[in-house]
Amino acid sequence: MPLVEVKRLVKHFPLRGGVFNRELGKVHALNGVSFRIERGEILGVVGESGCGKSTLGKAAIRLLEPTSGSIFYDGQEITRLAHARLMPFRRRMQIIFQDPYSSLNPRLTVRAMLRETIRFHGAAGRREVEKAIDELIGKVGLRPDAREKFPHEFSGGQRQRIGIARALAVRPEFIVADEPVSSLDVSIQAQILNLLMDLQEEYGLTMLFISHDLKIIEHFCDRMLVMYLGYAVEELPCENAGERALHPYTRALLGANPIDDPDDRRPLAVLQGDVPSPFDLPKGCPFAGRCPLVEERCRREMPPLEEKTGGQKVACWAVE
Amino acid sequence: MIRRIYHSLGVQKFIRNRLALAALAVILLYFAAAGVVLLGGITLEEATQRAGPDNVPGFLETAAPEKRLQFCRFYLEPVERALKKKDPAAALREIAFAERRAAEKPAAELARIVESAFEIVDELSESENLYDQPALLPRLAALEAKVDSLYAPLEGSEVFWRRLRLSLGTDRQGRSIAIRAVYSIKVAVQVGLVTALVSVFVGSLLGGAAAYFGGWMDHLVIWLYSTFSSIPSLVLLAVLVYMFTGSPFEGTLIPVYFALCMTSWIGPCRITRGEVLKLKELEYVQAAASIGFGRLYILLRHILPNTVHLMLINFSLLFISAIKAEVILSFLGLGVKNEPSWGVMINYSTQEVINEFFWQIGAATAFMFVLVLAFNVLSDALQDAFDPRTVLVSAKER
Repeated sequence: MPLVEVKRLVKHFPLRGGVFNRELGKVHALNGVSFRIERGEILGVVGESGCGKSTLGKAAIRLLEPTSGSIFYDGQEITRLAHARLMPFRRRMQIIFQDPYSSLNPRLTVRAMLRETIRFHGAAGRREVEKAIDELIGKVGLRPDAREKFPHEFSGGQRQRIGIARALAVRPEFIVADEPVSSLDVSIQAQILNLLMDLQEEYGLTMLFISHDLKIIEHFCDRMLVMYLGYAVEELPCENAGERALHPYTRALLGANPIDDPDDRRPLAVLQGDVPSPFDLPKGCPFAGRCPLVEERCRREMPPLEEKTGGQKVACWAVE
Repeated sequence: MIRRIYHSLGVQKFIRNRLALAALAVILLYFAAAGVVLLGGITLEEATQRAGPDNVPGFLETAAPEKRLQFCRFYLEPVERALKKKDPAAALREIAFAERRAAEKPAAELARIVESAFEIVDELSESENLYDQPALLPRLAALEAKVDSLYAPLEGSEVFWRRLRLSLGTDRQGRSIAIRAVYSIKVAVQVGLVTALVSVFVGSLLGGAAAYFGGWMDHLVIWLYSTFSSIPSLVLLAVLVYMFTGSPFEGTLIPVYFALCMTSWIGPCRITRGEVLKLKELEYVQAAASIGFGRLYILLRHILPNTVHLMLINFSLLFISAIKAEVILSFLGLGVKNEPSWGVMINYSTQEVINEFFWQIGAATAFMFVLVLAFNVLSDALQDAFDPRTVLVSAKER
């Protein structure tokens, strides 16, 4: 049984305006995305900005209310659970945010922040809480004197470590990492990734790892989900992803990755055109307008995400 | 905790601003004065009793000879009246102009002085214009000496208090302007503090709740403040104060508090609502939601504390606007009636200004001006020091 299973998740954001705050239209952020994550697995989600990666991550742990679709956690459906009934699940899933500056309350010290989190989820005794705080600070590689400091006294990388400590404070089994290293320097990125990897191993965490950086996804994850305009277009194992990729969009993405061999030169297949607007979705496959393999059928019908070979799923009419 | 606050960026930045510190010192001085009045350092009786003749000019202006003659008459007459009473000794003991009391001399001696003094008064009164007759000035000085000897000499600190009391002159009922202006600080600070505290508290809470919970709550709050702000504020103030006519609170500060609080919560409410609309989308708020904290807890612990800088700035802005509104209301006769207040003083001074006597209106406006200026400087400095954006910038610069 997978730990997390999401079925046909849809999220629309209403766009209001004008007189009487009418609904003028909808932003189609997610258009029926499904995936499952086994216990201990890391699923990467990749796609260009605005394709709904973050919305997917937030909706998966009920930070956003999905418009339709269902979410199963450990076999139980949590899509419509009320606040109180959701509470036991809250402590089992956590999120790490992209921006280390806006993800920490500037008025709380590290200790105050961790303490309220730990106490909220059970731990009672004062000594017990203090011990847990010290342990967490050590686990994420911060110096013990970080306890009494405010967020603005830390660098971006250190702040991200605090964000990770907060997510770990409730001892979750599932973590959504929403571009956790995108706003960090490359040298710091490696540190944070290594930290996440160590923690994943130590606690046996299951993760949904969101990033727009294919290199990081390939390195860090077991499988990846490629998204385009709110659709999942391909799901494939990360190993040898470059050769496995079937969907033309995935191939274009992977092809745009720099190759670390100066002699290996290939012509770059640059995609033409732009992503369609999420306000009014095109009929059929959203990628049809830019696709080199486009067929008549693509403009009429959206292809389903179907299993092709060895656990790889592709949503494309042109791929056999 | 206190050390941490002291070393926080905002406070350090505030302390480096010398002008702000000066303003803070002035404000503390005012607050101290208000505290002294509140603790009974200056009683209401002192502020309403007669301290001397009418329209005595303050320390910068020397009285014209005509006026000096008038003052001498003023001091002579009660003694003369007392001497005619059945029990002159008792009547003399009742004469008091604040510190100044009749001399403890035998009645016969006092009668003699009064008689000789009146001779000089008559003599001087005959001449038409004392300005043009410098030869008569020594006579006037002699008269003043005689009048002085009717009263007990002031001793020790009494000299100082007397001088202080008359330093800004007296109004047309002989009450000390200095005392009244200082007493008015109490009224101003009371009105400012109560209004600013209540309005900022209520406004921030309503605005924060409206923005964070949204839905009907937001609609209700927006409707409320739009309705209130669509009525001209001075009219609304007057109406709200008029509501209390006939009630036991009429003439006290309660109607003023009520009216000002009802009109001034709008500012902080709007500003806080806007800020919370922004803050609630921030990731630390989402993080708190993902931990599972209740919505009220998130609002009170994670969102509203991050609008403290707005509350501080709003507080100091509302403090002065409340004081100004109170002065206007009292000037119109809608505010305080039983106590002195700068508005009451300015209202009184309208008659004096016609007679070229500016001490009362000058004192009231100067006291108010200094306080308002200091608070404006302070709120500017607070804005500079505690706005998280500028604080963040300087944190990165380090």
